[in-house]
Amino acid sequence: MEEARSYQVKLESFEGPLDLLLFLIRKKKIDIHDIPIATITKDYLEYLNQKEKINLDREAEFLLIATLLIYIKSQVLLPRGKPEEEEDPRQILVDRLIDYQKIKAISALLRDKEEEELKRWKRSAPPSPLLQEEIELEEVSLFDLAESFFLLMKRKELENTHIIKGKEYSIEEKMKEILSILKDVAYLDFFDYFCRQKSLQESLVSFFSLLELIKARIVIATQEKVFHSIKVWLRNPSQVEIIV
Amino acid sequence: MKKHLRELIESLIFVSLEPLSLEEIKSVLQEFEKEEIEQAIKDLLESYVSNERGIQITLSGGGYFFSTKPEFDMWIRRFLKTAKKSRLSRAALETLSAIAYNQPITLAETSTLRGVDSTHTMKVLLQKKLVKIMGRKKVPGRPLIYRTSDKFLTYFGLNSLQDLPSQEEISKFLEEKEFGE
Repeated sequence: MEEARSYQVKLESFEGPLDLLLFLIRKKKIDIHDIPIATITKDYLEYLNQKEKINLDREAEFLLIATLLIYIKSQVLLPRGKPEEEEDPRQILVDRLIDYQKIKAISALLRDKEEEELKRWKRSAPPSPLLQEEIELEEVSLFDLAESFFLLMKRKELENTHIIKGKEYSIEEKMKEILSILKDVAYLDFFDYFCRQKSLQESLVSFFSLLELIKARIVIATQEKVFHSIKVWLRNPSQVEIIV
Repeated sequence: MKKHLRELIESLIFVSLEPLSLEEIKSVLQEFEKEEIEQAIKDLLESYVSNERGIQITLSGGGYFFSTKPEFDMWIRRFLKTAKKSRLSRAALETLSAIAYNQPITLAETSTLRGVDSTHTMKVLLQKKLVKIMGRKKVPGRPLIYRTSDKFLTYFGLNSLQDLPSQEEISKFLEEKEFGE
């Protein structure tokens, strides 16, 4: 086996035992359907022996195929009744090798496709709907809004020690109010706005109006960072004239 | 508007962040006949092939999207200041190949095909969303069964599983390899 030694390949460079077997077969230019099982078993075991210690976790699979090879070798050696009728004991291995060889070929073909695709750049981010000079903002979720709202409500609750029946508020009116504020300023500070509300009822109504406006996609709520103030913007400033 | 259908579709693909499927295009353009839309898409794709442009419209993973031409990769990366995108590992690619051609498939079947335990690799592929769990096989132990995802198709620039290398291509590749050595 001079040949095998002059051509040292580390076990780690193989994807698995089938990979190693294919390598040995190809090196000897053997037909995969007619493997000289004794020679190949010897070559294979020699590769395993190059390792001084076997790492069972990683190399158990190599040992598994080794036992399969030895098993096939023993089957080939045993005298059989009618050779034509019986299946070639090597068949199990041949089938697996052919399947594996196919997978390797597919891998190589897919690798080419991958290389090509990785060089194609796609659009991945939407153009910002906001002003260019603004820092990166993240759109807030309903939960962020609700959380801020409850915080504000708590503050209001403390103030609300006496209840005097006040004005009735409607969501429609509030929506109009928010929009008319937004017409004049670039954005509305959510916290400021709520602090300006006079009663619990008014706060509630304005919060619902804000949710309505977001749902109708007329305004957008953004936040620079978690816990920072929430800013309310018009999604499309030119549209507002029509609505108000 | 009929005259501008081609440009209209082009603009839809432009604003879409995900690959835009034919069904989505049709559902938006209710005013138009299905045949008209299909013809317009065909014309649009042709116009991109014949015109000398830096971007193309590609159909992959079941949708249309804009992408740059591969030959400009180097300069685009220089501009975006990004390194080469990382490729899949050999193990991951091998596992994907085994799954793609034998799906739906269990983890044990995948491992047998490769002759290597594929638990870890499968986990990585799931994280990358290149494979997905489709349910359980009705055999003892009820093992999970896996399939390749739409992202798998887009990743390799395939429109459907039919676009995977054919048996002939695989045989040809194997033959060439044998002669080469």
